[in-house]
Amino acid sequence: VSEPQLTDAAAAATAGSPELEELVALAALNEVPDPSLCLRIARVAFQHGDTDDAYRWLKRVVDKPTPFRVWVSAAAALASFAEQTRPSAARALRVALAGSYTTSQLVSLLRLAAFRRRLDLEVYESGFDRYNQELLDPGSDLYAFAPDYVIIAPHEGAVAFEPLTADVDGAVAEEASRWTSLWDAIRRNSGAEIIQHNFVIRPETSWGHLAARVPGARDEMLRSLNSLLAEAAGENVLIVDCDRLAAALGKDRWFDDRYWHLSKQAVALATLPELARHTAAVVAGAAGLSSKCIVLDLDNTLWGGVVAEDGLEGIQLGAGPEGEAYVAFQEYLLALRTRGILLAVASKNNDADAREPFERHPDTRLRLSDFAAFVANWDDKPTSLQFLAKTLNIGLDSLVFVDDNPAERELIRRVLPEVEVPVLPPSPSGFVRALSDTLLFEAPRLTEDDLGRSEQYRSLAAANTLAARSSSLEEYYASLSMKALVAPFDELSLPRVAQLVGKTNQLNLTTRRHSPSDLAAFMTDDQYITLTLRLRDRFGDHGLVGVLIAREHGEFFEIDTLLLSCRVIGRTVERELLKHLCEAALSRGVHRLRGVYLPTEKNAVARDVFGNLGFDEVEEHGGKIVWEYDISARGIVTSEFINSWSEHGND
Amino acid sequence: VNTETIERIEQVVGSLLESDVSLAADTRPGDVPGWDSLANVNILFAVEEEFGIQFRDADLAPFATVGELARRVDAARA
Repeated sequence: VSEPQLTDAAAAATAGSPELEELVALAALNEVPDPSLCLRIARVAFQHGDTDDAYRWLKRVVDKPTPFRVWVSAAAALASFAEQTRPSAARALRVALAGSYTTSQLVSLLRLAAFRRRLDLEVYESGFDRYNQELLDPGSDLYAFAPDYVIIAPHEGAVAFEPLTADVDGAVAEEASRWTSLWDAIRRNSGAEIIQHNFVIRPETSWGHLAARVPGARDEMLRSLNSLLAEAAGENVLIVDCDRLAAALGKDRWFDDRYWHLSKQAVALATLPELARHTAAVVAGAAGLSSKCIVLDLDNTLWGGVVAEDGLEGIQLGAGPEGEAYVAFQEYLLALRTRGILLAVASKNNDADAREPFERHPDTRLRLSDFAAFVANWDDKPTSLQFLAKTLNIGLDSLVFVDDNPAERELIRRVLPEVEVPVLPPSPSGFVRALSDTLLFEAPRLTEDDLGRSEQYRSLAAANTLAARSSSLEEYYASLSMKALVAPFDELSLPRVAQLVGKTNQLNLTTRRHSPSDLAAFMTDDQYITLTLRLRDRFGDHGLVGVLIAREHGEFFEIDTLLLSCRVIGRTVERELLKHLCEAALSRGVHRLRGVYLPTEKNAVARDVFGNLGFDEVEEHGGKIVWEYDISARGIVTSEFINSWSEHGND
Repeated sequence: VNTETIERIEQVVGSLLESDVSLAADTRPGDVPGWDSLANVNILFAVEEEFGIQFRDADLAPFATVGELARRVDAARA
């Protein structure tokens, strides 16, 4: 294995400038250097004529968290650099911004945010609150500018809804048509793509919570207007969902009325950089500059621990707060994959070790077939990434490298600066947000694949409506399309079984807290039947949610333990477990079952489980109830709402 | 007037205007190239960020000199 050639451009360029060397060394102490420091390095580098370096450090300013003042300074630096030497960028675009409030700051920030996304923007700003005139007038300066994109940026105050309106639909439709007619004007007068900021609903209301039930209240009408515009936008107009963005940032931060009163700043300056970043991401997506492939590390990225050392049973995946966080991250990646984002693996591992969790781990969400390419070997990661880019026939600048190890991330940043390398937080529960916050996966419209899937969405939506209407429990159960996988305990399921046995309080017939070693012993003891149940329904995979342990006592099997995770109580899951117990007992020539209910403070919900399954009560003493079931007389317990699920199928 | 406050304001203004500025208590914004009404809004908010303060509504109104701005900052910090 050879070390990669370190083409440390930054180090090379600093030769001869002690100040620059010192600053760069200071920046190297942190994975995310202080943005002010990055800006300072950029300025010094530019003074020394290291233009490429200067621009590279300027880009790093934009990576959060960066205060407004540093953004504005960096935007000013970008403008002054560009006057002397245009930056190299993937695309040069002309963008017209037509707003209803003071948008000068947004213009300069947008230029910087777009530059971070490899776009060299020239921006035209319409006159203050003159968006109507300039968009409607074919002879306006805006159209003379010949924009590639027109961004319409109104604030909610630009909508003239009354506090309360009687003819809600009429008023909303009329207001919507005011905006769509601006879209029509843009189409008539230019070939520009249209980007519309939607309306941010203010956090305070005179109506209180009543507003949610009053369609004619101003806030509700703005909500309807946003929906109507989204519908009208269809494939042709891009929407920046400002209302969602503002909610995510906190609307109390988004609205700083002091600056509205001072100079008609409708978006608080503190949150304006994020609006610029999100708008730039939508432009980048439309310009075809979104990332196409996520290259994933495995150990401590897709599961906790090291599979080659800890073994398949030892890694953290499912069961427990850390393991569940990795499952959630896998589910997010899977959702991106279904949107057409490629997933690939670059892992330093033996190939067989690396593949095993995807083939055999019960809680893996990702399967081998989800990866477009899979590289597990002992090459350095830059070599693997170059190989992947070549194999998948995409540019390095389409790759996003996701690795928990800061040293690997730094290596990629140095050796392959075209690759996007987001910083991951120490806890896996933060991985989804970290990846989503890169804004690297904006798509301008649904693809053919997505459209195919939307058919499925439609049928699902229809099914949902049915479920909502189903009045009986039976109809509800049937509507869930439940599938169960019932299997004896094994090494992989044991940790989750131990967890459920240790903590399940409600639907737990006996609440016997067997130790992990006892549970492992039952697994190999012929006197015992052990069963686990995994449940899926059309909403997703619930994982391992049921455990049953039964012990043979001559003529009958006594159910030592029967428990269900609280999330699947009331879905007839216990029937499926008992059905399998009946079959297992019969196969051993045993025809009778005995069940025991031991009351605790929390398991009242379990009291009638056996009675409901058709067991006969044979004894009650101090709350303890003993039940019996004769399989030859009553037949195998039926489970009509749950189908079996084959282990390797994806159905 | 607190000179340390003025020095920090000077840094903020210099960085926002992308130029080396030299500010004193009696400097008038109009005398500093680039310090127009738009830049002033940015400077006010940047100063809030720099000092971790929020000006009262009245203190966002125009000020005659940098010294007056510094006094408003110090009042907000007190």
